[in-house]
Amino acid sequence: MKDPGEALAAARRAAAQAPPAAADEGGEWHLQDPAASARRLAEWAIIEPEEAEIYSTRRLGRPITWIKQLLVKLLRQYIGQISAQQSRFNAQMAAHVMRLEERVAVLEEAARRHDADDQPPR
Amino acid sequence: MKVTQVLCAAGPVDAVTNQGLACRALFTAWGWEGEDYSAVIAPGMPRGTLRPLHELQPRDGELLLLHYSGYARGLEPLFSSRRRSMLISHNITPARYFWAHEPVEGVRCELARDQLAVLCREAGALAGVSRFNAHELTACSGREADVIPVLFDRVALPPAGDGPPAGPPTILFVGRLAPHKRQDLVIRAFARFRAAEPEARLVLVGTPLSPAYGVHLQELADELAPGGVVFESGVSRDRLAEHYRSAHAFLCLSEHEGFCIPLLEAFHFGVPVIARDEGAVGEVVGDAGVLLGADDNLEVVAELLRIVTCDTELRGELRPRGERRLDEYAFARTSERLHDALTTVAGR
Repeated sequence: MKDPGEALAAARRAAAQAPPAAADEGGEWHLQDPAASARRLAEWAIIEPEEAEIYSTRRLGRPITWIKQLLVKLLRQYIGQISAQQSRFNAQMAAHVMRLEERVAVLEEAARRHDADDQPPR
Repeated sequence: MKVTQVLCAAGPVDAVTNQGLACRALFTAWGWEGEDYSAVIAPGMPRGTLRPLHELQPRDGELLLLHYSGYARGLEPLFSSRRRSMLISHNITPARYFWAHEPVEGVRCELARDQLAVLCREAGALAGVSRFNAHELTACSGREADVIPVLFDRVALPPAGDGPPAGPPTILFVGRLAPHKRQDLVIRAFARFRAAEPEARLVLVGTPLSPAYGVHLQELADELAPGGVVFESGVSRDRLAEHYRSAHAFLCLSEHEGFCIPLLEAFHFGVPVIARDEGAVGEVVGDAGVLLGADDNLEVVAELLRIVTCDTELRGELRPRGERRLDEYAFARTSERLHDALTTVAGR
């Protein structure tokens, strides 16, 4: 084959004749609605800083990492308080969004039923 | 002439930072003075390469060149009604790609789009690194925008291999692991291809958007193509060249690209390119690769991989076409365009 167009046409013909692949969830050609799920929002809501996240990207950064870890240990009470404060707010917001999603779903369902009832019998 | 460059963020493995540094090397060669500033400087940048943006106090005579790649505080006053200034857009990814994985990145992209519209109205001249980018600038400002591609110096790259690589069929993609680059689709397409070619392997080179996103892709790869996908990041120039030399196809299924330098790298190493015709990809690839349409699907990609990895005639045909694309983006040609654009703005 000497032409990219020819190769593409051959691939399309072969793909059309191929047996359908097994279900492949999430493999959309275009990302349709890549919004965060309510579950993901809930995961993000609670802040739990991890010690593994304390590091230095500098060369020979081990002593810097050690000093940072020490500082975090010394400030544990304060960090805990502000994390809890932020987590409370995040959780409230996530819960609010989830409640709104549930209400929208109920309203959409009611609207669908209403439309169906309005259809004249065939 | 004095040209001061402004970057939104700078890092040791950042493509826009490399562009800024390449521009500075050119300016020095042309006998132009100036310094480079960045709103954010990541650790790992060599000391003295860039100065923090808050230290910038532009004088009347100097020309400000902004490489716009993301939201940065404090840019607007610098460019307010400044005729001797130029904005080169390196593209902003639509925020929607980040909501599900890194919402903070999404917020930054939203802010960047608003800020870009303001800066486009103020800057003396506009340019995009691709026609796709230039159209975006025109759309948000109503002003004309030039096209100045990225500086791509193939002389600085290691040489290509002699012929088709030995070893199992190897598929390569190079780019940050991010939702709009659609490595998830690359993995899925590869898994289908691998069903007929069990020895095949996929190499994904790029830093993940976040550790969690990296894990997400790794899990997908483990589920669909266990043992067949290699993830690498922070690779050296020579290691990257090795990957290109051992690749039978370069597969780019990005849904949004402002330019995509790895496509030119693939041409340099003579790797056949299969890519989705999205964003600026089509204009960079031209007739030198196989461009997938909006109605294609993973099965078509898998079939194409089968054809491209074993058809030596097609590989032989694509190589000279890739060379012609490299001529189009030749370093000398792009630097001349940059020189002409900047001297025009400086003459105002």
